[in-house]
Amino acid sequence: MSAKILLVEDDTATSDYVAKGLVEEGFTVDRADNGRDGLFHATDGSYDCIVLDRMLPGIDGMAVLAALRGAGIDTPVIVLSALGSPEDRVKGLTGGGDDYLVKPFAFAELLARIRLLIRRGKAAPAVQTVLVCDDLEMDLLARRVKRAGRVVELQPREFRLLEFLLRHVDQVVTRTMLLEGVWDYHFDPGTNVIDVHLSRLRKKVDEGFARPLLHTVRGAGYRLGATP
Amino acid sequence: MLWRSTTFRFAALVFLLQIAAAATLLAAIRIVVLRQVSAGAAEAGEVLRQDLLAVRAAGGDAELARAIALRTTRVVTPGSVMLLADARGRRIAGNLAAFPPNVAVDRGAAQVELYRITHDAPEAMLLRATALPGGLRLLTGSVVEGERRAVRLLEAATLFALSLAIAFAALAAWLAARMIVLRLDATVATLDAVRDGDLSRRVPADRSGDAFAALAQSVNAMLGRVDGLVAELTIATDGLAHDLKSPLTRLRSALERAAAAVTEPAAQDAVDRALAEGERLLAMVETALRITRAEAGIGKESFTPVDLAVELEEIAEIYGPVAEDAGRAIRVAIAAPATLPLHRELLGQALGNLVDNALKYGAGTITLALDAGEDRVTVSVADEGSGIAPADRDAALRRFGRLDTARGGTGAGLGLSLVAAVARLHGGTVRLGDAAPGLVVAIDLPA
Repeated sequence: MSAKILLVEDDTATSDYVAKGLVEEGFTVDRADNGRDGLFHATDGSYDCIVLDRMLPGIDGMAVLAALRGAGIDTPVIVLSALGSPEDRVKGLTGGGDDYLVKPFAFAELLARIRLLIRRGKAAPAVQTVLVCDDLEMDLLARRVKRAGRVVELQPREFRLLEFLLRHVDQVVTRTMLLEGVWDYHFDPGTNVIDVHLSRLRKKVDEGFARPLLHTVRGAGYRLGATP
Repeated sequence: MLWRSTTFRFAALVFLLQIAAAATLLAAIRIVVLRQVSAGAAEAGEVLRQDLLAVRAAGGDAELARAIALRTTRVVTPGSVMLLADARGRRIAGNLAAFPPNVAVDRGAAQVELYRITHDAPEAMLLRATALPGGLRLLTGSVVEGERRAVRLLEAATLFALSLAIAFAALAAWLAARMIVLRLDATVATLDAVRDGDLSRRVPADRSGDAFAALAQSVNAMLGRVDGLVAELTIATDGLAHDLKSPLTRLRSALERAAAAVTEPAAQDAVDRALAEGERLLAMVETALRITRAEAGIGKESFTPVDLAVELEEIAEIYGPVAEDAGRAIRVAIAAPATLPLHRELLGQALGNLVDNALKYGAGTITLALDAGEDRVTVSVADEGSGIAPADRDAALRRFGRLDTARGGTGAGLGLSLVAAVARLHGGTVRLGDAAPGLVVAIDLPA
């Protein structure tokens, strides 16, 4: 059964585009174009993820979120907002949002984050000490990485990057997600710093092996997985 | 310095006025008491004189001598002094041994110090000499020794009271000065809090209606205005962000759709370039908004304690591979560790901008340095390139102020002005200097 997503967005063009993209990716999408209808749908509780615009006619997005959380509904919510200052982000996240995406966003970014939230909502992962992807293995306690039984020497920053990718195996992670996840930064680094990090990691992880594990997803980011 | 302090001057004035008031009071008491004492003694002497003159008028000199002898042997009036002497000053009757040479005849009362007969200590007395017809002289008066003692006591008491008055005056001056300082403390504390970012703080209201209350009211009115302006600015920038970003979001959606649809390599390339330019436009809007907000002091509520040494290591780590690919190196030099309450994200962005600039326009090794002094912490980014000429440094810090040498690049000229805005948000400053060779950009933060 496909995952159900509620999209609450008043801008028709954005809403159409996001809904179309999500349907193409196999999601079932319900739409609301104001806060009141959004809240009405959301209280149903049957959604796997809610994409909520912050500035809405009727009831404001943050008020919808507060009402939802107040009603005990813990469906994961991604807040979409044109307000991109760090303070706005913090307000959005402390107000009950699970993720905060600043407009304009790449669809791939939204998609990657929705998938991440749905997975996180389904299974709270047990404490893992070994992360595995195909023949790549990371021992978190010994802080050692092996591929096909051979030790891969990594610098601490490369280890952290790979750990993040391994925790999101088979999911698309965007450059901003990597910057947030590995270094806890939300700023724009200006140059292609993340790409350079990834290309170095790729050299160490994939070079000399028949099957590449680290894939570049055009227009979106990266994905670690056995399937190309 | 101390003399220029109004508080000190006020305290000094209070002190001096207190002392003056106490001294005047004591001096007045002294004058009144002294006058009363001498008037009393003079009156007693005069009564005695009149009595004796009346006796003489009734019974002649012999009767006067007998009356004096009678009065001096029987102690009728213990403090009285009388003497009947002949023209040569020899005693005929009375309680003085001889006529004192220092009392002029018929010149009013004079105070002298003499021995009375049967007394073994000299006493102060107020005497009046009267020439009698027939050549005899009469001396009358009264002892004022007791009064003199009282005056001496009064003087001692005055001295004691005056020293007490000085202590009280000092206390009053100190209290008065404290009162002023305390009345202003609330206003100063409020202004400090506002400067540090709490724009909602106001001076507590009081209904005294005095100058301090008026000052507090004016300060509050001004703070209200500042608060309103900042709020308006926030609304304006938020609105601008929203208005600009909605069409940008649609533009981006359209381009992404196009990117998925086109297959021709030239078209694909064009769409990619358009997407990249859109990205850059967005980054500029975002940075410009961040500068405006930082300049307005918005974001102080997000300060958290940040270990700057760790922060520099992280920035060096993020940019390390890019630098290495360009044949450059990033070095971190920690002279002294420091942890300060900071806006971590904005500071990270500022440092990132500096490293990015050093990568784009500088040369050689990039050094991220941290030094902590007594009252300030300095974070700096230096490179080994050609640097910026001293004359061009101000222009480099201005918003959209790109140097000609950098024009044609892809930057927006906002990098350094964001750094300056972030420094100001933290109460610090930015200095551009010569790293000999190269440029050093130092952010001085108050410790």
